Amino acid sequence: MKRREVIKNVALMLGGAFSAPTLKAMDNWENATKPNRNGIAFSLTETQQRIVAEIAELIIPKTNTPGAKDVGVPAFIEMMLKDCYKTPEHQSFIEGLDSMEKVKFLELNTDEKRGVLKLLEQETKKITSKTTPFWRLIKELTLLGYFTSEEGLKASFDYVQIPGKLELIKLKPNQKAYAY
Amino acid sequence: MNLNIKANKNNTFDAIVVGSGMSGGFAAKELTERGLKVLMIERGHEIKHIEDYDTAMKEPWDFEHRGKTTNLSAEERWANSRFWGLGSEEVVNHLTNDKENPYIEKRAFDWIRAYHTGGKSMHWGRQSYRWGKHDFEANAKEGIGIDWPIRYEDLEPWYTHVEKFVGISGQKEGLEVLPDGHFLPAMPLFAPEAHFKNKMMERFNRPVTVGRVANLTQPQDIHTSLGRASCQYRSKCQRGCPYGAYYSSLSGSIPAAMRTNRLSVLHDSIVAEIIYDEQKKRASGVRIINQNTMLTEEYFAKIIFLNAGSINTAALMLNSKSNRFQNGFGNESDQIGRNLMDHQLGSGATASIEGFEDDYVYGQRPNAMYIPRFRNWGNDKQTAYLRGFGYQGGASREGWESGINADGFGANFKQSLTKPGPWSIRIGGFGEILPNPNNRIYLDSEKKDKWGIPMIVTDAAFVENDWAMRKDIIASAVEMLETAGFKNVTPYDRPTHMGLGIHDMGTARMGRDPKTSVLNSFNQVHDCKNVFVTDGAAMTSASCVNPSITYMALTARAADFAVKALKKKDL
Repeated sequence: MKRREVIKNVALMLGGAFSAPTLKAMDNWENATKPNRNGIAFSLTETQQRIVAEIAELIIPKTNTPGAKDVGVPAFIEMMLKDCYKTPEHQSFIEGLDSMEKVKFLELNTDEKRGVLKLLEQETKKITSKTTPFWRLIKELTLLGYFTSEEGLKASFDYVQIPGKLELIKLKPNQKAYAY
Repeated sequence: MNLNIKANKNNTFDAIVVGSGMSGGFAAKELTERGLKVLMIERGHEIKHIEDYDTAMKEPWDFEHRGKTTNLSAEERWANSRFWGLGSEEVVNHLTNDKENPYIEKRAFDWIRAYHTGGKSMHWGRQSYRWGKHDFEANAKEGIGIDWPIRYEDLEPWYTHVEKFVGISGQKEGLEVLPDGHFLPAMPLFAPEAHFKNKMMERFNRPVTVGRVANLTQPQDIHTSLGRASCQYRSKCQRGCPYGAYYSSLSGSIPAAMRTNRLSVLHDSIVAEIIYDEQKKRASGVRIINQNTMLTEEYFAKIIFLNAGSINTAALMLNSKSNRFQNGFGNESDQIGRNLMDHQLGSGATASIEGFEDDYVYGQRPNAMYIPRFRNWGNDKQTAYLRGFGYQGGASREGWESGINADGFGANFKQSLTKPGPWSIRIGGFGEILPNPNNRIYLDSEKKDKWGIPMIVTDAAFVENDWAMRKDIIASAVEMLETAGFKNVTPYDRPTHMGLGIHDMGTARMGRDPKTSVLNSFNQVHDCKNVFVTDGAAMTSASCVNPSITYMALTARAADFAVKALKKKDL
């Protein structure tokens, strides 16, 4: 299959898959009160974990500095979802992963995967639900996990533990941001 | 400290101070420094300055959830976590577990609490502004509530006294609306803020200044003698400062009181009741319940300062019933628990800023810029509402967080987020709320907490004046940011309740007439002169500026009065 066709197919499938979370979101309050959804610990299957790791690495790939996988972002995402998010976001996240499984994300080549994520990014903008959509969740948690990890932070920024002073300065060319 | 004592003699002090927070700490300092033997009673656990700031030196990656509120924290701290960032593991364990210390919300009230040594002074925003003359006169002029029994001039020397001890960085501006104080060197405004300041003066004749903040920019002997050092510009104040660079009871007033060797502190001791001596017609002491052992104990003193925080002080008074005070201690006026005020916040505007690409900052400023009240001031007259508001906020360069909502991913995206992003700005209003007898707390007639003390019910909400002001806070913020030439100006209005300002006050107000007020001009309970209330409960109106240094000034003034009266045997 040519790249264009893959993307076209993915678009069709995503389009179908994406109306679902929007509708589901409207029922979130109802779902949240259903005992069969509540209290079930959030966890991912092995395939879902692999998809998460792939997407996180595509968002923050290994370059001359570490990538998302190097600093443990995939496990961080799962832990954060479990500890800091509730049923509506869990559902939104799982449904996003379902869509990725449907389009056989793991079997695509890197270019195709990037194409899928670009599409996902555009589709996400159409979602009006109050529940944070899958793409936004995985992106935020990838960035948070990476840029606040020891290796990610130190590789990306000029880490200043104790500034000791406050100074208005002029930015030098290519100067990295300070992190504190 | 060994206070496991039963003998009455050993339970007797010159003064008892209930609460160790902002005003309680100051009461202990002022009273011990004037020679009194003081017992300070704190309901929460002990926190030792520096030693117990367990998160203070943690690196970003040391926090498992990287600053996000966990579901568990949100459940345990269901009220505290309503405030921005207070659910974060950086601070959450230093805030009260609301599940274990519940209150009843007849109308929702965001009650932020910190039951431990130093109370909320460990977490405060440190913004420190004197009230203006107009703040003490407005009630009388407008016929709102009751008149203050004091004026600015009564408090002025005490503001200076407090400011010198606390250490407040700020810029003198010579404004009537925001009187200058005794300041340490000011922190700088950032380049876009300086631009904003100039534009506001040029277009609206509105002054803008850098925040007046209780962080030491240049410590003086009065500070270093207590072990306090200069601000290191980490801006991690709320975790507790290992340098003692920002003022709290823990870094300032309690160590000052301790070095007199006249302060004793009881922790884990909830004051359940003020004991009234019907013969002597004065309060003789307090009854406490140990929060862990449930054991009760009585302590006695010549004078009692109530500094439990406005809501708990009112609750304690309401729970202290006797033949003389059947409706609560000193509550002949029925004003205790009423007139609960706060400052409304949670609304304003944000904007993105073009330009200033070369301007950057080394260090983190634990401060903001301040826009003093300009409404119903000078020639401005609003028809929709009384009083006014100030703004706090500032400009900063965006960090990697801006990538969350931006398009993109991959190597270039990753690289781009390592550079300082564009500048953006946010300003948010702090609006004055008027005294209103229907905004109140009271004790539930049946439900009790696990110590057998009646539960507190909150019953307060914004009224028309607040909503009209809020509309203007938003509209004026938009207008000002647009006038400054900033882009993508976006109003914000976070759904909020009273309490979120964490400036709850007014529940045992000062006044001239015992029929309409609880305290006199020296914060004495009208009907029981050896009891003083000098926390936020004493406030007769709210102004729109942050209240802590006013509480401290009132406390110092009352303590000075109390000790002089004791010496004259008037008490």
